[in-house]
Amino acid sequence: MSEDLEDRLRQALRPVSPGEEFSARLLGRVAAATPPPAPNCHTPRRRVAANWWLSAGLAASVLLALGIRHRASESQERLAGLAARQQVFAALRVTNQKLDLAYLTVRSESEDQL
Amino acid sequence: MSADDEFAQARAGNTAALVALIREHQRAVYSIALRMLGKREAAEDLTQEVFMQLGAKIGSIASKEHLRFWLRQVTANRAIDQLRHDARFQMLPLGEETSMFGADEDADPLLKRQLQGLLAELAAPARAVLLLRYQEDLDPVDIARTLEMPINTVKSHLKRSLAALRARCGLTTI
Repeated sequence: MSEDLEDRLRQALRPVSPGEEFSARLLGRVAAATPPPAPNCHTPRRRVAANWWLSAGLAASVLLALGIRHRASESQERLAGLAARQQVFAALRVTNQKLDLAYLTVRSESEDQL
Repeated sequence: MSADDEFAQARAGNTAALVALIREHQRAVYSIALRMLGKREAAEDLTQEVFMQLGAKIGSIASKEHLRFWLRQVTANRAIDQLRHDARFQMLPLGEETSMFGADEDADPLLKRQLQGLLAELAAPARAVLLLRYQEDLDPVDIARTLEMPINTVKSHLKRSLAALRARCGLTTI
């Protein structure tokens, strides 16, 4: 008896339709109020990330170019220094040889006079 | 598109998928609202509020089962709040013009009439318990979870409502 009543209750309480007019109005309002799809929200974020990487890449390239230029100028200065040092040594060697020659000449002349 | 795909797309912001979900659940939501509040305009307003809230919160709903639970919970609790706080619903006159039941010819017309009278007499929480049990076919444990009420309270509401309906219909209690 109790189960019979419960079955009859279920039958009487089947969901009813709100009607097409209300349904259309409801769906229209919900559709109008729904924010745009999420994928659009990701595009600017991706663009910002791409711009960041581009800027970082450019900055790194500029720094690398400046570093290479600085290194090249340093090595040129070093080569010029080495060349100057060699010239000084060569000049000293020549001077030494000339002094030795002068000394020997003076000494041989003194020995001749004695 | 499968039902799960449709739900996933609605969560991702696809309006067409959200509209399809609303079509699927609008009968249940509207029927709870109508049988709780007893007035067609009030039921339409509540149904619209619930689905507008769904549109804003769909991203936080985890699955189709969670969606079904959420819709029943929000609809029933909002209706209970309205019945408690809004003077228009304090003495609910369920007029003959309000069609709370479908045009199911197999359903017992005497039972429908007595049920309508019983729903008008029941307090809001007891009314929600009866609807969730026999309209939505939830078991007492799920009703307790949905309405956040002790299981024994749910059982006693059901027992008293059935006894009252039986008495109204002139049926003997077994």
